[in-house]
Amino acid sequence: MATDTTTDTPAAPAQTEVDLHDEEHLSHLQHHFVSSEQQFDSAKLGMWLFLITEVLLFSGMFVAYAVFRQWHPETFAAASQTLDWQLGGLNTVVLLASSFTIALAIHFIQKGEAMKSFWLQVGTIALAGVFLVVKYFEYTSKFEHGVFPGAMFDPHGVAHGVDYGALASYAYAPQFFSIYFVMTGIHGFHVVVGMILIGWIASRTYRGHFSSEYYTHIELSGLYWHLVDLVWIFLFPLLYLV
Amino acid sequence: MSHDSHHIIPFKTLATVFGALIVLTVLTVVAAALPLGPLDMPVAILIAVAKASLVVLYFMALKYDKPVNSLTFSVGTLFVVIFITFTLFDTAFRGDLGDVSSQTVDEITRQETEAGERQQQFTPEQMAVSPADYEALQNNESAADTTTADTADTE
Repeated sequence: MATDTTTDTPAAPAQTEVDLHDEEHLSHLQHHFVSSEQQFDSAKLGMWLFLITEVLLFSGMFVAYAVFRQWHPETFAAASQTLDWQLGGLNTVVLLASSFTIALAIHFIQKGEAMKSFWLQVGTIALAGVFLVVKYFEYTSKFEHGVFPGAMFDPHGVAHGVDYGALASYAYAPQFFSIYFVMTGIHGFHVVVGMILIGWIASRTYRGHFSSEYYTHIELSGLYWHLVDLVWIFLFPLLYLV
Repeated sequence: MSHDSHHIIPFKTLATVFGALIVLTVLTVVAAALPLGPLDMPVAILIAVAKASLVVLYFMALKYDKPVNSLTFSVGTLFVVIFITFTLFDTAFRGDLGDVSSQTVDEITRQETEAGERQQQFTPEQMAVSPADYEALQNNESAADTTTADTADTE
């Protein structure tokens, strides 16, 4: 495109017209873009800008975590022990696998194999479902022992070698669990949004809306899904392990 | 044109990255179980950053992407680091603001610990200073230190 505008030869504008004429046949190209290429790049830059706002949203909560952990290290160490690192680890592997499947979905749509891409998208949604089910069991096992966020915090009982009652002796244990529930809760909300998003593009992939020439929606949904994975990569060691 | 910007990442690369991510996940669990003391947190963060880099560079394909997207992400990440670091500059050192003594907090803490340890070496008889202390000794009560009488009562 740059060469089109810089060359003064009469042939150059004519060439551009032909290019534009060709692009007009593409149903997906919107009139305010010069080419599919430009439309794709603009959409992608926009997605990255959105993802950065998401990162900043989560960074506020990571700051809350850092401050309270620095103030009350022994409380955070004790409260973190009550979280099940095996379930957290399982969910880490599940999310990493889902990131792998959506990356492969993009790989195959780029090669023009739409049905392979479709099934990998379905696989991603299934793995996201597994993540939420595990999260459900984690939450309910906490609620059963009065471990709620905020003012309802009333820990009691012993289960699987975890003494929830002992949490009551830590003045700042409620803060740890408020941070835990808010961070994993908002992350879980993003998982649900991701499932809806990928469900929508999977149905469009199935109906043949995408090809190796046009797959912007899959690419952008993939980026969003990787961000969900990215947040969990930090949440897992910080909440469950350290 | 289309070929240049729409780099198709080979299956093998994606699979290798996925394998590396799983290995790093196992590594972070093992590292957390080891008694690393103060190094626990830096090691966990380091492994998480390594995993995040793999996801961003290969799964999100920033390595093959237009530089403007990398710039967007890098600048955003820089601001996250500023956000966390500068907040901790405040909150981590708040207790020191009222401290105008020439000694550091560490020195004062060390002196207090030493004084506490020295106190442990004395017998209850040696600790008795007031009539109430001697009375307590006669009643076979160990808490002879009247300065801690308040806390001893509540226990």
